[in-house]
Amino acid sequence: MNLIKKIINNYAGLKTILLSVLLFNLISAVSLYSSLHRQGQFFGGEILSRQLTWIALSWAIFLIFSFINYRLYRNLAFVLYGFGLLLIGIVYLTGYEAMGAQRWISIGGLNLQPSEVSKITIIILMAYFFSQSPKNNFFLDFFLPFSFVGLYVFTIVNQPDLGSAIMIALIAFFMGLFSKIKKKYFLGALILVLVLSPLSWNLLKDYQRARLTAFVNPNVDPLGSGYTIIQSKIAVGSGQIFGRGFLSGTQNQFNFLPERHTDFMFTVIAEEWGFLGSLVLLFIFWLVIKKILDKTKKIRDPFAYQVVLGIGIYFFLHIFINIGMALGILPVVGLPLVFISYGGSHLICSFILLGIFFNITSNYR
Amino acid sequence: MNLGDKKIKKENKYTLNLKRFVGLSFFVLLIALFNLQVVRGDYFLRRARNNYMRAVLLPSLRGSIYDRNGTPLAEDKAAFNIAVIPYQVSKDRDFLFEEIAQYLELDKRVLHLNYRRNLKFFFSPTNIVTDIDKQVALELKRRYPESVLINPTPKRNYPLGLEFAHLLGYVKKASFLQDYSKKYGYTPRERIGVYGLEQYYDSYLKGQDGGDLLEVDARGNAVGFLGRKKPTRGKDIYLTIDNQIQKIARESLARKKGTIIFFDSNSGEVLAMYSSPSFDPNSFIEGRGVGKIYADRDSPLINRATQSTYPLGSVIKPIIALAGLEEEEIDSKTTFDCKGVFSLGRSDFRCSRIHGLQDLTAALGNSCNVYFYQLGLRLGVEKISRWAKKFGLDSKTKIDLPYQRQGVIPNPEWKRERFNQSWYAGDTVNLSIGQGYTQVTPLAIALAINAIAIEGYLVEPTLLKRIEDRQARPISKKNIKVDKANIAAVKEGMRYAVTQGTGTARALGNLGLDLAGKTGTAQTSKDPHGWFIGFFPYQKPQYTIAVFLENGGSGSEAVRTAHHFLSEIKKQNLLQLK
Repeated sequence: MNLIKKIINNYAGLKTILLSVLLFNLISAVSLYSSLHRQGQFFGGEILSRQLTWIALSWAIFLIFSFINYRLYRNLAFVLYGFGLLLIGIVYLTGYEAMGAQRWISIGGLNLQPSEVSKITIIILMAYFFSQSPKNNFFLDFFLPFSFVGLYVFTIVNQPDLGSAIMIALIAFFMGLFSKIKKKYFLGALILVLVLSPLSWNLLKDYQRARLTAFVNPNVDPLGSGYTIIQSKIAVGSGQIFGRGFLSGTQNQFNFLPERHTDFMFTVIAEEWGFLGSLVLLFIFWLVIKKILDKTKKIRDPFAYQVVLGIGIYFFLHIFINIGMALGILPVVGLPLVFISYGGSHLICSFILLGIFFNITSNYR
Repeated sequence: MNLGDKKIKKENKYTLNLKRFVGLSFFVLLIALFNLQVVRGDYFLRRARNNYMRAVLLPSLRGSIYDRNGTPLAEDKAAFNIAVIPYQVSKDRDFLFEEIAQYLELDKRVLHLNYRRNLKFFFSPTNIVTDIDKQVALELKRRYPESVLINPTPKRNYPLGLEFAHLLGYVKKASFLQDYSKKYGYTPRERIGVYGLEQYYDSYLKGQDGGDLLEVDARGNAVGFLGRKKPTRGKDIYLTIDNQIQKIARESLARKKGTIIFFDSNSGEVLAMYSSPSFDPNSFIEGRGVGKIYADRDSPLINRATQSTYPLGSVIKPIIALAGLEEEEIDSKTTFDCKGVFSLGRSDFRCSRIHGLQDLTAALGNSCNVYFYQLGLRLGVEKISRWAKKFGLDSKTKIDLPYQRQGVIPNPEWKRERFNQSWYAGDTVNLSIGQGYTQVTPLAIALAINAIAIEGYLVEPTLLKRIEDRQARPISKKNIKVDKANIAAVKEGMRYAVTQGTGTARALGNLGLDLAGKTGTAQTSKDPHGWFIGFFPYQKPQYTIAVFLENGGSGSEAVRTAHHFLSEIKKQNLLQLK
């Protein structure tokens, strides 16, 4: 009884985050509705209702996870990691292909992307490692945790899902960077990555390489790999200060913008709602991350602290990279905009993380 | 617990760092967003509009050009071009171009080159092959209905190219002439007349392009119609030229370099004006063989009637004679003795033979140089040059053609400016038989002689009969006030040249046209130029003819050409003699 009371009180304390997320749901639904138009015709009723179902389901999952004692994860960190690996393995065996990539597994009619689950399990595993007292040993402090990361990254890159692989590496990297581990290890690792990156270039698929070259100069192939960047910038820029109006963005409505209801949802919002609308969205995103990080003040448990930091990093990186690519300042990699883009897996993943966060904060009020 | 507190304080440092990092990153996004939407917003809005709004050009047709009988000389025909929508073919472009190139038996690089050159927007038709056979175009559309478009555009065609090249000129796309598009607001796709009548009457001939403004989606499908501006056709113009006479002029000159000008003595309406060698203006439209035209050492692009000046030789003599009479240095009875040579100081000036005593009629008829040497000296250079100018020999004519050249009638001032030398009596002697520094266009001397024919009027020559239904302009002529009796005396001399003179024009006497005229053989550093200028019927002239042969040997050669020309048009009944 006491526990439940505690959690409910905690909800009240985090109402800014809760209201913000509700607002995200609303923005998501409205923008999805707009992006599913073509020349004034709405054609995506099915997609929209599916997304609304995902949103409802996510809230339920959030509730469940907010009641699960987070300490469980520390004990099960390796098990969960293994579970993540298992899901990736299942994708290899049974997963179906979409757009040239094997990313999804189907459970009861819902398609799930295991790489999203891996993002959660890597946060937990990294929190486990980085909350230990440092041994001041490169192998134990750095190499060991990052070999687990490496295994994930390697398997996911081969799906191929470059976006998720990069994201997992970055989450782990940032979690380590903002922990007690010696910074010189990272410097070493960075040099290693730089040395190895020419090699990894050869491991990339053609289209992944094309996207990277297109990022450096979209005009090399304006109708091919550079197309999305160019059209996204045109859409965002044409929104100007006040936007072109709801359902009136021509880049969106006349179908010039590919993948607009998934990875390029921000572009749709920026085109229709302009600089002011984008500014509001950016502000709320920043507010949510700030509120999450604010809560670390009271956390006494180093593991919990690292998990919350990881959750903050997770949201921050997704938002920064996704919007950065819509604005043409980062290369195009397949990443959703958290809470906004169409898709169930990332939504559930975000809500699970939110649930874990709520459970942790209810312990440290 | 103490230890734990310490640890947490240290950990909070990480939170703070992370927050700073997040804040900074969001600031970067803000800057990028500001840059795209506020700083460069106008630019991107324009690009967005270019994406979804497509202006489809509805090209206007250029007015046709007809001869006086309605024979088409220049008209627009449809050219069939093959175009693609770049966005639609972005994936299989190579393959598609290769197939099309194979079908057309072209190098596929040509297609790629055209594509790159014409590419403006991802979503608007881009020509890859231009001006192909209609059936071939239809077949390509049948083979690749999804990928290619037939994009017809008007194309200028000159059915009688060679005969009318110098008169009609040709058109070019404004994009080739950057000055024009900037100065006069032509669009790059519009065609501009760049030579001949196409240039002179461009503002009438050119229509107004129209267009459709469409909304298109990314596949290039039109999904909305925003508006249309109808194209307006240019005006048709009718020339004074008679296509058949022009044809005879061409045949008469055959392979000789030179020009034939044939016009209505009283109205100045030009019935034929042909300059040889000629060129095919269609070459400039098709872009084929242009290099050869430019490289030709006989300069086929020059209209020898108006764009080049030559020494006149004896065809200037009627003007000198009239000047002598008007200035009362002589009368028609005055005689000079010709001993075959005229000595001035240490120089000897020759005549074609020993003519003996010559009066005006005889001197003109026999083309006696010695007579004119002495008359020239009596008149003096100032009077000669004043009369030559009065007859317009050193001015541009009023003909409706661009790029006319101006003649030169020398005088002491001119010589000092040009060569920094003084004027000698020998120069006057040379001037009085049209040699030395004298340089005149064939059209200008033809009009001057015609002024004698029609008793003192310089007519303004014209090639334009009417624009659509509007008559071109009233006949316009300038009165050079001269004594009718003096004119009659000179005309008599010119008639004598054709009927009895020892000059070369006598061959024309048998045509039955009551011709009067004057021949000329102008010395040059190469072969002499041949001249003949005449009019008929000499009592009341209706037609004037000028034949000029560049390095063509002599006046008698010009007379032969004139004979061929005149006998042909007479035979074909193309004259309307009253």
